[in-house]
Amino acid sequence: MLSLKIWDSRVVRWMAMLVATALFGLVVTVPLDLYQQLGFAATGFIVALVLSKTGSRLGTLAMMVLSVAASLRYMYWRVTETLGFETALDTFFGTGLLLAELYALIVLLLGYFQTAWPLERKPVPMPSDMTQWPTVDVFIPTYNEPLEVVKQTVFTALALDWPVDKVKVFVLDDGRRDEFREFCEDVGVGYVTRDNNRHAKAGNINAALQVTDGEFVAIFDCDHVPTRSFLQVTMGWFMRDARLAMLQTPHYFFSPDPFEKNLETFRAIPNEGELFYGLIQDGNDLWNATFFCGSCAVIRRGPLLEVGGIAVETVTEDAHTALKLNRLNYNTAYLAIPQAAGLATESLSGHIGQRIRWARGMAQICRVDNPLLGRGLKLGQRLCYLNAMLHFFYGLPRLIFLTAPLSFLLFGAHIFQASAMMITAFALPHILHASITNSRIQGRFRHSFWNEVYETVLAWYILRPVVVAFINPKLGKFNVTAKGGVIDESYFDWTIARPYIILLLLNMVGFGAGAVILLNGGSLEPITVIINLFWTFYNMVIASASIAVASENKQIRLAPRVAAQLPSTVRFANGRTIACETQDFSQTGLGLTLPANMEVPMGEKVQVSIFRNREEGVFPAVVVFNRNNRLGVHFENLNVKQQVELAQLTFARADTWANAWGNGVRDTPLTALKTVVRIGFKGFGLFFKHLYSMATAPRHTRRASAPKLDTGDK
Amino acid sequence: MKIIAIVSAKGGVGKTTVTATLSTALRYRGHRVFTADLDPQNALRFHFGISPQEIKGISRASLAGQPWAETCCQSPSGVVVLPYGSVNESDRESFENLLDEQPTWLRSQLDTLGLDDEDIVLLDTPPGPSVYMRQALTTASVVVIVTLPDAASYATLPMMEGLVQTYCTRRPNFSSYSYVINQVDNSRQLAKDVVQVMNANFGDRIIGLIHQDPSVSEALAYDKSVLDYDVRCQATQDFVNCAERLSGLIQYAGHPL
Repeated sequence: MLSLKIWDSRVVRWMAMLVATALFGLVVTVPLDLYQQLGFAATGFIVALVLSKTGSRLGTLAMMVLSVAASLRYMYWRVTETLGFETALDTFFGTGLLLAELYALIVLLLGYFQTAWPLERKPVPMPSDMTQWPTVDVFIPTYNEPLEVVKQTVFTALALDWPVDKVKVFVLDDGRRDEFREFCEDVGVGYVTRDNNRHAKAGNINAALQVTDGEFVAIFDCDHVPTRSFLQVTMGWFMRDARLAMLQTPHYFFSPDPFEKNLETFRAIPNEGELFYGLIQDGNDLWNATFFCGSCAVIRRGPLLEVGGIAVETVTEDAHTALKLNRLNYNTAYLAIPQAAGLATESLSGHIGQRIRWARGMAQICRVDNPLLGRGLKLGQRLCYLNAMLHFFYGLPRLIFLTAPLSFLLFGAHIFQASAMMITAFALPHILHASITNSRIQGRFRHSFWNEVYETVLAWYILRPVVVAFINPKLGKFNVTAKGGVIDESYFDWTIARPYIILLLLNMVGFGAGAVILLNGGSLEPITVIINLFWTFYNMVIASASIAVASENKQIRLAPRVAAQLPSTVRFANGRTIACETQDFSQTGLGLTLPANMEVPMGEKVQVSIFRNREEGVFPAVVVFNRNNRLGVHFENLNVKQQVELAQLTFARADTWANAWGNGVRDTPLTALKTVVRIGFKGFGLFFKHLYSMATAPRHTRRASAPKLDTGDK
Repeated sequence: MKIIAIVSAKGGVGKTTVTATLSTALRYRGHRVFTADLDPQNALRFHFGISPQEIKGISRASLAGQPWAETCCQSPSGVVVLPYGSVNESDRESFENLLDEQPTWLRSQLDTLGLDDEDIVLLDTPPGPSVYMRQALTTASVVVIVTLPDAASYATLPMMEGLVQTYCTRRPNFSSYSYVINQVDNSRQLAKDVVQVMNANFGDRIIGLIHQDPSVSEALAYDKSVLDYDVRCQATQDFVNCAERLSGLIQYAGHPL
């Protein structure tokens, strides 16, 4: 039916649109009594469940339509039927909840819009005539990161597969450090510095733009290691599309972020970034609204200079730059192939600090360069940017949802003027449809309920910066995200965890109060109490899971280890060889799996070969570990050439780590719920364990203070 | 019958070791394998544990008019070996004259063995151009050139390719030629550079890269193949990989004349 000729007519399409809108309006607004509504809801849900078994994109779109219908119907009923507040207290809490729900609805709708049809762009091959290939400057900005971290990025940047005379690597050192200058001279890469630090990273890059001249600029954070294929994979689209100004690739991390580390979910459950880079950016790409994310991207110099370089008005200079490019009618693109990998922040406080910066920056853009207003953007672009900005306003709504049932359980406020059955008949379809539809869309990149954990952890912390930045975009300073550190001891971050502890305690009190009301059989409707108890229990689970995130597991390795099975050989001092596989690699050593038990003395000098197809690198090393068929070796005195070669054979090869991306276990809501509940219980237990040990430990032995959270908004 | 000639323009590249080890590796892959030694050094037999006192071989058999089948020995791994045989100088000359006069001698002798289409014959040859190498090249469906990753070996490769052009590439029943680089030590810069140059020049023609490994020479001292002597060493791994490539290469080779 979709292929009928009739659809080619503009008039027919508009007519169909009008009829559909009218019918949809009818579905949303038609009044039904309780049983009719229950029947309606059940029918819709069964259809959605059937659709969820189909594999087609049309099925996904149909599920979205059903979900939108259920949600709009709920909101229509909510606004028209449930707001007859009687007391000031009811009005206060009730209005707050309504606003939070409206926010959630708008974000839901925008999210559907944004992710309905991911573009799934494929790479375009470069022309075979290499003389046509453009020149590229590779920028590696750094400010205070250790040389060891930056070295690795430089080595892999040197290994990029691109004509040697057409690529130049530059370290942009805002720290003005002599050892960096010397290192750059040693390995023969450009060293750029300036006499001030104005506008932080954006200013650093802009200063470098003044002294370089490549047609393109590839930017890598100093802890992002590009693969050798990066330029060959990304540059093709620029050759095809002359208006293309920026192409972004995913940020991929080979170390666990604090959530993954503290909850032990690394590689098992998609992390916070995967939804963004797996789905949202791909959805943005359809609307020509790909965001620049500051690293692992290529920008065409001409347009970049045209918008005045990297934006400096906000602290999310990257997204703002892309917005400016889009405004000048340049295209932006996204290629969902990890072509660089880096280190995640290792402590929760660092992670929160980074997210605060993003949130503040987005709120700033919202004020100084609002995407809904201003020239040059298409509607789709405006909506994508709007969603990105609105997303960071979740702080207050999330806190309202986490405390809403308490107003009833503790204060007896009737914030919802409807019977429990009516609420169930209207609200449940809204929630369930949204849940299964999002699981369907996002399943590869986000598991159900996890966004509630992520948002709860951050809600309190981003609330104030976002509001402050929205009121006055000039307040607040730029804070860099420190990486590559060591957490030498497991500890519980009491400072960070305070908001979740308060939330948990409040909900526990509410739950207790609700239980007492239920047992005493007061005047309140028991079903209403039970609904609120369920809600409170769910909130307790989420708050407890957030507490579990704050229990920092120790991270003893300075150099990140990447798990990878690479063919290799160990040659022992007596010449004997053994063909084996690596288990993991790092900048400083290898973990190897030996075929069987072998007597290898500690401290023995060996030569280790790592293979990549026909290539072989041989590296001197010393045995530092040998147990249960596992051999650990530490590299010894690698010269610069060997270090570059090692980087080529390990970090710079995408075949070692990129395979995992987007290929994890798909979401099933019930399994995800079980996992979240389990983590919630763990966090609940951890909280009391830490409380107990703190109470029993002598005062002077307590950890003086956890790393202080620098929110940058003082 | 798939006939594989193992050749090199230069001596001392480990051709006999490669012939013997690849024979065993192909045997372990499940092929029926026959190995004929066309080199008067008569050294192939040592790799298969044949007694030094044994004098029979294809040279003697041919001069005496005996069938080849009577000179066969079997190695412990099941490879059928046809040694060159011990002969005095004048007999060797007569034998070489015979080969010179009868260009199809090798083929007709092999045909008397009654092998079927899937059977593999490996021919070990003396280094450099000779009547033996000519017989091997005019008969083989696949040629494997063994070389070392050093400048001297690299310099001789054009000559070897010239011989292959002359005797093989125009024959309709010839399939392909390829390279095995032996005794590679990538911790030496020169070796590494030569391997890189060869990779760039020959690409997929390189079917084997055998690392230098003390286990290979130790294995011979123990009358064993390195495949049995040190299962886990790199050289064993390399020979196994090489045999796999070779096995794939000959799959479609060697249709009858």
